[in-house]
Amino acid sequence: MASGRWNEMSFLEKMSNIGSEVSRTITAMERNDEVSKNAAFERSLELFDLTLNNSLTSSQLKELCRAREAWVDFVAYDNEYKSTKESWRNYFDQFLYAYAIQAGR
Amino acid sequence: MKLVEDNITTEELKDMAEKMFGNLVKAVVDIEKGTMVVNAEMHADEEKYFLEAGSNQQSLWGINIHPDKEGDDRIEFDSMINLRPSQNNRSRSVEDLEIQKRIIEIVNKLIK
Repeated sequence: MASGRWNEMSFLEKMSNIGSEVSRTITAMERNDEVSKNAAFERSLELFDLTLNNSLTSSQLKELCRAREAWVDFVAYDNEYKSTKESWRNYFDQFLYAYAIQAGR
Repeated sequence: MKLVEDNITTEELKDMAEKMFGNLVKAVVDIEKGTMVVNAEMHADEEKYFLEAGSNQQSLWGINIHPDKEGDDRIEFDSMINLRPSQNNRSRSVEDLEIQKRIIEIVNKLIK
């Protein structure tokens, strides 16, 4: 995704888009589809990083940095922070819901 | 959490380690500014500190400092914030040896 278009999005829209890639990653994990998992995971990190490098409030920045670290831990390492697929889906669904309200849907 | 711009002693780091993780202190190094932030629970918190201060994420690298070890051995290249496919770094380590060298240079300069 071009960073120009990304910069125009609200924080909620960005988080919803990250959530889509998170969801795709998890779905691929459930199917044991390593290729799709890796592709979606890399896209999710790209979107996390595009967002981190933008103007965020202090609390948004803190949340995003922590979420990114915990996400990497869940997908690629030992899940030290003990998150679950459901917790990730629930976490990002909240942003999707808030974005839908913001967008007047 | 503490920003280290000039120096920090090994004794201070040992004290920080004892109070948190036992044998290590988490740190994030800004290789562009030549500084580091130490002593947070997560590397993400140290990353956030630097980003808020205007650092580029591409310049930030997470390490663990083991104050009971000597020299370069006290630096462990291991942090989840380092996994950045956009920079071709696909593990928790710092895969670019030039960046590793730069981190070692900065850390050794800052720890007295």
